[in-house]
Amino acid sequence: MKSINLKENQFIQFHQKISFKFDGVKYFGYKGDTIASALLRNNVNLVGRSFKYHRPRGIYTCGIEEPNALVQIISEYSEPNTRATIKKIYEGMEIESQNRWPSLENDFGSINNLFSPIFTAGFYYKTFMGPHKKFWKNLYEPLIRRAAGLGKPPKDFKGISNHIHHNVDITIIGGGLNGLLAAKSFINSNYDVLLIDFEEQLGGIINNSNKISSIDNKEPKDWLKETIQEIEDSKNIKILKNTLVTTYNYINHLIAIEDRFVGSKPIEGKVNSTLHKIRTGHTILCNGHIERFLSFQNNDLPGIMLSSSFEKYMCRYGLAPSKEPVIFSNNSNSNSLVYSLIKAGLKPKAYIDSRSGEEIEPNLFDLIRKNDVPLYTNSQIKGAFGNKKIEKILVEDSSGALNEIKCDCLCLSGGINSDVHLFTQSKGLLDWDEKDLTYKPSKPFQPTITLGSASGQFNFDNLNSDINEKLKTFKVKKLDVKLELNTNAKYNIEKLWEVSPQKKSLWAKSFIDLQNDVTTKDIRQAITEGFDRIEHLKRYTTNSMGTDQGKISSINALGIVSDLLDKKVNEVGTTIYRPPYAPLSFSAIAGRNCYEFYDPERKSPIHNWHLKNGAIFEDVGQWKRPWYFQINKDESMHDAVQRESKNVRENAGILDGSTLGKIEIKGEDALEFMNLIYTNSFTKMKQGSARYALMLGEDGMVKDDGIICKISDQHFIATTTTGGAATVLGCMEEYAQTEWPNLKVFMNSITEQYATFNISGPKTREIMKKAFPNINFSNEEFPFMTFQFHEFNGVPIRILRASFTGELGYEIYIPSNSAPKIWDNIQSVGKEFGLAPYGTEAMHLLRAEKGYIIVGQDTDGSITPIDLGLSWMIGKSKKDFLGKRSLTRSDTIREDRKQLVGIIPSNKTDKLEEGQHIILDKEIKSPVPMLGHITSCYYSPTLGHDFALAVIKNGHSMIGTKAYASTSSMGTTGVDIVKPVFYDEGNKRLVS
Amino acid sequence: MLIINCPYCGPRDQSEFSNGGEAHVKRPDGSKEIGDREWGEYVFIRANPKGLFYERWVHTHGCRKWFNCVRDTSTDEILVTYKLDEKKPNLNNFKSVVKTPSGEPEVGSGNFTVEK
Ligand SMILES: [Zn+2]
Repeated sequence: MKSINLKENQFIQFHQKISFKFDGVKYFGYKGDTIASALLRNNVNLVGRSFKYHRPRGIYTCGIEEPNALVQIISEYSEPNTRATIKKIYEGMEIESQNRWPSLENDFGSINNLFSPIFTAGFYYKTFMGPHKKFWKNLYEPLIRRAAGLGKPPKDFKGISNHIHHNVDITIIGGGLNGLLAAKSFINSNYDVLLIDFEEQLGGIINNSNKISSIDNKEPKDWLKETIQEIEDSKNIKILKNTLVTTYNYINHLIAIEDRFVGSKPIEGKVNSTLHKIRTGHTILCNGHIERFLSFQNNDLPGIMLSSSFEKYMCRYGLAPSKEPVIFSNNSNSNSLVYSLIKAGLKPKAYIDSRSGEEIEPNLFDLIRKNDVPLYTNSQIKGAFGNKKIEKILVEDSSGALNEIKCDCLCLSGGINSDVHLFTQSKGLLDWDEKDLTYKPSKPFQPTITLGSASGQFNFDNLNSDINEKLKTFKVKKLDVKLELNTNAKYNIEKLWEVSPQKKSLWAKSFIDLQNDVTTKDIRQAITEGFDRIEHLKRYTTNSMGTDQGKISSINALGIVSDLLDKKVNEVGTTIYRPPYAPLSFSAIAGRNCYEFYDPERKSPIHNWHLKNGAIFEDVGQWKRPWYFQINKDESMHDAVQRESKNVRENAGILDGSTLGKIEIKGEDALEFMNLIYTNSFTKMKQGSARYALMLGEDGMVKDDGIICKISDQHFIATTTTGGAATVLGCMEEYAQTEWPNLKVFMNSITEQYATFNISGPKTREIMKKAFPNINFSNEEFPFMTFQFHEFNGVPIRILRASFTGELGYEIYIPSNSAPKIWDNIQSVGKEFGLAPYGTEAMHLLRAEKGYIIVGQDTDGSITPIDLGLSWMIGKSKKDFLGKRSLTRSDTIREDRKQLVGIIPSNKTDKLEEGQHIILDKEIKSPVPMLGHITSCYYSPTLGHDFALAVIKNGHSMIGTKAYASTSSMGTTGVDIVKPVFYDEGNKRLVS
Repeated sequence: MLIINCPYCGPRDQSEFSNGGEAHVKRPDGSKEIGDREWGEYVFIRANPKGLFYERWVHTHGCRKWFNCVRDTSTDEILVTYKLDEKKPNLNNFKSVVKTPSGEPEVGSGNFTVEK
């Protein structure tokens, strides 16, 4: 295909040269060129290899509907699958073709084309199934992935995208003739209007074709300039250019993506795209139409192009991709290409129309006759042929004779479709138009208005009345625009979907989906095999499942299927177009919520100290918590945890417990409220005392636990688990508002306002005395489960005597800002007593030795307090609390419930594993009745062997018996079932 | 995404809210004897109609207030929101035509008719 430059225009200036590289070769284009127009200018017609058969492919269209010309932009983090027909070139741009190896000209994968008779619909489903499941994962899939597919994933990609929200009355999508006229109606009205166009210049069909000769007696381009100026001057209209609406959600919620670097290289660290999230009262769809192609043998050869795309290259880019293209059409839409060619001093090599001479528009006839263009009416192209490019075509004329025509370019038009993607996304219903052979919008589901060809108006006759009628509700000024056309034709089309090949051959291919390499034969085969529902057929053949969603071909597939099934197209139905309209990059969707901002990290006020002192962190919800502390780089986790645990038992340890949820509850009825929320009774509890408490769901299952401090009957402070803080507060608020609105009570999270230090171990009292010399820590003055308020160096602190390790312990609550200083102080006075920090893992080990549960680890939402052996925590005299009635449900009182027990290996040197099953038999013979499983398991430095907590059926009555635990090596270990407490059962250490 | 009219804050984006299931489900009075069936239905059983539905929402990332609404589950349209202490609106006040996108019938799922 040899292209020629036509005249300059406002979009392309021939003195502004730009150099770029395609597959390593340097080429020149002009400012304003897309990759496609620049390649065509350089007579580069082969731009990629196809998905499955690796067939040579060229540029098929001039816009977003492009199925073939997808390229990898090396100079932009190697961004794959970029449509060459949209992406503008810039100086130094580097582009590579996709899906070929070693090179585009000599592609090894094209051998697939040779084997193509076996790669038919359902090939993968049928073939790569045996002999073993593993074959798919390990052999077939990697092989297929290398051979098939689109581009390679981008490299080192860190795109930046902003999100902008809009709230407007009216959004007009598409700035073509109808979009501009609609916007013009709203100039200086009281409506907030957003006008969105995908291109850099507004104007649509006025820029892209020679269809219109004058508007209001002006040159179309002059009218355009004036109108855009008027719209821009209007204060109530905002224009978004280079912005594609990709998604039309419920309640007029639109998503649009704006490219911020059109025609220039994105600058690293700058926002390269903006995602617009738009709420609008009404949406006016003026997004026009898309031309479709036709199926015949080798309709994918480079050099074949849609006819309106050819015309767009002429009008927009000052470029005729070929000097003498052949035109093949079944409708009147391609008339204007003939007009444009002749106006530019060129002429078609031949004009082939499947319609009869009577149906062809008289003025087209005149034009063709006057210019001696060879005309074939009632004729069809049987096939196109050539090596990596079109060289000749075979035409069957009205007499049935075959004519061979040599050509380097073929322009196709199979008719036009309203671009209904957004309309169907909005859940609007379509109707099949038997005359225009396309689906058109009929019933909107939302406040959606369609105008122009987007609404199925393929002629301009009713331009004014249609807009005036549809915009009537807005009471805006009526339009009266005078339009003159160059090709004065009413849209006319004859049914033609596919031309069968001249010779039957296994290798003859007529494509129905260029991007996914689906042929019309695949459609036939799928129907023969019973996939005759359109949604099944689509998935079985992958027709229209590419990134282009079959924009130029999906209606053709429906036509072919309806003929095969001998049904009307509206009986076949249509597949649903899904958002996004065109691929949307994940980085745009993520916006700024990525990398360090993806999920906020919450850090305790002591975090920096942990960093400096060898802490290895664990994620607990959003919190970063020290898991364990390494005294040197070589210390293993096991060694660190054993050391930390031992030190707590022998000396003293300090844990940063700041992440624990803290909720303050206040109000006249706080006591009653707390009695209703937790299982425990707080009525008789003394002021200044604390209590371990459980919270249940209404189903009776344990949901959270914590320590409740009673300051007075009107004031409580509750702690929650680290992960449960938000849920517990939410639950309290819900019941306070919905079930007991009569109770005067308020609650607030104070988690981040206070840091918490948990100090425990036999030497803790000495350390506390030294750290807080003014406080009396004697057992009489400060007994177990009491708390006191103090002031320390001007900082108000609260100290609670409680323990999660089984040792003497205190929890200190300090306003977060003052916490690091006090932490440092405790560290320095604790040194002589062997105080060392410990992490969550040692804490878990120590609490398990005492049989203290962790909600979410030892419970899983199906465990009641009774199952845990915690019946003593239930305030039985209370009339009501969350989940109370459920504790006497038939399910919660049955005998064989899973209950918490302790497990130790019968042979003390044996190992136990978390998550393993407890079973009765030594031998594993399936089916194995499973009693339950190990929920927590550690090696205890104090006991000198493994121990575990488990929930097993009827566990409480099995205490004292023997059983087996399964192992990860498919064996069993003999175990003793014991009480779930392994250390200081009498709590002597705790209370003395 | 829906727009939900919080009775306290006005119309806000759905992402600020959390759904709380069926509204006007009364928690049995704990001070009285509660039968197994009554309690079981309160804990486990909720209506799941196709069409108009009384529903609870909470403005989680806003005023944190609970409120009620009438939502058409077949179109997701929220017809009215009201405070917890307000009377529940009569469903007859709303057009109860199930106008699903594909015009499905009132009973059944998918696009196929199921006889009542
Ligand atoms: Zn609110």
